[in-house]
Amino acid sequence: MAPTYNIAMVSDFFFPQPGGVESHIYQLSSKLRDRGHKVIIITHAYKGRTGVRYLTNGLKVYHVPFFVLYRSASFPTVFSFFPIFRNIILRERIDIVHGHASLSSLCHEAILHARTMGLRTVYTDHSLFGFADAASIFANKLLKFSLSDVDHVICVSHTCKENTVLRASLDPLMVSAIPNAVVAENFKPLDYTEPPPRSFPAHHPLPARPLGPHDMITIVVISRLFYNKGTDLLTAAIPRILENHPNTRFIIAGDGPKAIDLEQMIEQNVLQDRVEMLGPIRHEEVRDVMVRGHIYLHPSLTEAFGTVIVEAASCGLYVVCTQVGGIPEVLPSHMTVFAKPEEDDLVTATGRAIAALRANKVRTELFHEQVKSMYSWTNVAMRTERVYNGISGAISEAEFYGYDAANGAGSSWSAARGRSGVQSFALIDRLKRYYGCGIWAGKLFCLCVIVDYLIFLALELWFPRDKIDICPDWPRKERKVGGKDAG
Amino acid sequence: MAPPSGLHQSAIPSDFETPFPPLMRSSTVPALTSHRADPSHLAPEDAYSSFSPPRRSGDFDSRGNGSGTDSRPGRIRHKDASRSRSRRRKRFQKLLWVKQSYPDNYTDQATFLENLQRNPRVRPYDFWPLVADSTVIVQHVCSVIIFVVCFVGIFQERSQGGSADEDARARMIRDGRAYREYRPPRRQDSLGLEQSSMLNASTVSISSASNLPSAASSTSNLLQDHHQPQRPFHPLGSSTGNSGLLVPAHAHSRSVSSVNSMASQASAANSPTTTRLGPDGPHHGPTGSPTARNSRVYVRLSTIKSAILIYFTLLGLSPILKSLTRSTSSDSIWAMSFWLLAINVFFFDYSGSAAAATATTGTTHSKQMPVASLSTNAALMASTVLASRLPSTGQVFSLTLFSIEVFGLFPVFRQYARHRSWRYHVVLTVLLVLGAGAGVGMILGDERGWPWKKGLLGMVVGCLIAALALGGCSWWLIGLQKYKNEIYGPWDPARPIIISRRHWDDE
Repeated sequence: MAPTYNIAMVSDFFFPQPGGVESHIYQLSSKLRDRGHKVIIITHAYKGRTGVRYLTNGLKVYHVPFFVLYRSASFPTVFSFFPIFRNIILRERIDIVHGHASLSSLCHEAILHARTMGLRTVYTDHSLFGFADAASIFANKLLKFSLSDVDHVICVSHTCKENTVLRASLDPLMVSAIPNAVVAENFKPLDYTEPPPRSFPAHHPLPARPLGPHDMITIVVISRLFYNKGTDLLTAAIPRILENHPNTRFIIAGDGPKAIDLEQMIEQNVLQDRVEMLGPIRHEEVRDVMVRGHIYLHPSLTEAFGTVIVEAASCGLYVVCTQVGGIPEVLPSHMTVFAKPEEDDLVTATGRAIAALRANKVRTELFHEQVKSMYSWTNVAMRTERVYNGISGAISEAEFYGYDAANGAGSSWSAARGRSGVQSFALIDRLKRYYGCGIWAGKLFCLCVIVDYLIFLALELWFPRDKIDICPDWPRKERKVGGKDAG
Repeated sequence: MAPPSGLHQSAIPSDFETPFPPLMRSSTVPALTSHRADPSHLAPEDAYSSFSPPRRSGDFDSRGNGSGTDSRPGRIRHKDASRSRSRRRKRFQKLLWVKQSYPDNYTDQATFLENLQRNPRVRPYDFWPLVADSTVIVQHVCSVIIFVVCFVGIFQERSQGGSADEDARARMIRDGRAYREYRPPRRQDSLGLEQSSMLNASTVSISSASNLPSAASSTSNLLQDHHQPQRPFHPLGSSTGNSGLLVPAHAHSRSVSSVNSMASQASAANSPTTTRLGPDGPHHGPTGSPTARNSRVYVRLSTIKSAILIYFTLLGLSPILKSLTRSTSSDSIWAMSFWLLAINVFFFDYSGSAAAATATTGTTHSKQMPVASLSTNAALMASTVLASRLPSTGQVFSLTLFSIEVFGLFPVFRQYARHRSWRYHVVLTVLLVLGAGAGVGMILGDERGWPWKKGLLGMVVGCLIAALALGGCSWWLIGLQKYKNEIYGPWDPARPIIISRRHWDDE
């Protein structure tokens, strides 16, 4: 029987705000609960959403009152979160603190405090950062601070892993690449019938939808219309695509500062009857929009994972996307046409996709089943659980990190960067880890850690542990033993 | 890592339930650990320098089949080995949709960070071109020094206010003309005059007689001689050079008008002329036709008109300026003008018109504008503040006018000279360095001695300092290049290449 944990997910981003990180946290927590763990979520208070809430499946959400700085990221006050955080952690008897999203200061503070309190910490990175501009340098330094003393890091793609390893100077072995997933049931194709089990994929019951040479092909774009989502490329490419291919049309959903450019393009080229702009849509409506099309076009300039192309493929759309970030890792090549982030190449790639669809070379009706078998939150939760097992010592260090003790490896990995079993909580060891962050930053970070430790001692004195009530647990689920436990 | 681009690839491995194999540390830890001080921090060169994309797949395969790592789950998956891809799948793939038989934190030596690029766009600097390019900075610093020297000279009562005033009057008319006429040949002519008058001014305001004006006039003659044969070429309008030259001038016209409106209620007649300055330039026809001649006369008339307007505005303002900061202590003024001039030097647009002309998109212009005008405005503010320390109206007037020339018109001329010929540029640089050195020398020397000795000494020292600064800084910058470490990889936002700007450029 594998151990179960009390896990606290900490992030600034959670419902009611929509978004990828938010749904990631929710789905992962939900599946972890299904596997018998106890999961609570700590986020900041949203408008009309304060205090403690229970979500479906007994998921408990703490909305901590915090000043919201920008796009619902809270104001970074390094220490002010500690008292209430400690209270929650003790109340809920948390073992593992799992922070999400690099722009969430709540997450980084929680990781720092959790290490001070002697808890295991995991951090999930959802985004990519460059190294060029000053803002990135600053953000990377802060990330380095926060991740100097983290037990394990999860990234959503291999590209993201490489990026995080470089940004925070991490040992690549303590970074796992665990992808996002989609709820395939929410992204079914239009005329989808549940296939009888075990008939996949050789003689599939679904009839292929053959496209005639003059049938209308609809290209769907669903993205926030920002610069880094490649809206400029889209604006430049749409007139050329429509010019080259009669009987095609576009449906564009989403809103953003670049929407005005698109509208201008439509008016200048008189494409009102061939480009439909839907404006912002809710996440629940994404599927309904997607199933109206045949091709999903994703011109993004940077993307850590690109959940939306998985959703599109799950809806049975042929995906045309730019080859940036983690996107090439996400889908097999028979579902996608890759383009360089250039206008010409995007036009050509879309042309290839249209030609392939017209020639009925692509079995889009099979995509849903395939995507369903590739990505599921249950699988993600299982892999995350293995990470928890590894850092808490349930599976041996050698097995988790994959080096043998006979190799004498422990000697080269100094005490400053110990492994899970030996990742020491002693203050002096933690200080050693922080000191390496930089000439000045290292000393500053050490100072922060010392102050944090002093606050911790003061809190222990003023609010003793035995005065804090233990909160009764929501009845845990029986651990599902599906025989598929990798841990 | 791009997946192969076959359209049919329906095989989806689904066996992710296999237990994760114990990994050898040697197979997962980056190989180059010898030269690193701290092996826990992955240096970029680890992944970058040792592996190149045509990687050691053969080696890897052989190891996969060897006995050492036979505990990998390949054995288990031999059951469904009917597919030919099963052998390939033993290898780690940087794909997320494949159910790998490796743990999630597996780090593949061959593919980890394989797309990392370090310093891909770095051009190594060469010494002499770097020195040549940095002369632009020297020029500007020298002209600022000359301005300060002039102020100090006036402030120390070394120059007669009357002569400066007379000179300023003459300069004003010429410069106004120079300023109004954007067409390169005429502009050059008048700018040459301007330059001579500039040097005139600087020398006159320091000492009454010098041999520099002759040199300057010879320079202007040179300029005229040079442009004579090219006259028919220029009016036809190499549009790039023209538009490039317009940029700083726009900034300047804006700043001049702002100065005017800031200092007083600029007359209503003044503002239309200043605003009309920009469009004036490109509208010139060829010189040969009578209409063009008419328009030239007209332009000259309006130039004289606006010059007179500016002249009288400044003259009217001078008493106000004189008492502007009477209640402020001199220390504050010195500190303030120092910072303002520092802002001018640091924010000055050294890239020049050439860079602006070669820039393809229109956005760079709008980006450069505020910086340039910040620099110019700071300098004019400094000169206004400094001028308010002066005792007499004539001196205030002269200094303000001079500052407009130095910070407003002279950069345009410098850019033009550099654009025109490298020789002019060098001559101008040398003259400026000599002038600045001599000025500083004379200012620092006390009254008793013969000022020329100090001036000559200043020239020598100035040349030495300029040479040292140019050479030393260039050498230093080249030496610093080895610390350059730019990291590029697939995580960087891609730069979209958009060709058909046709819908947007014509607005």
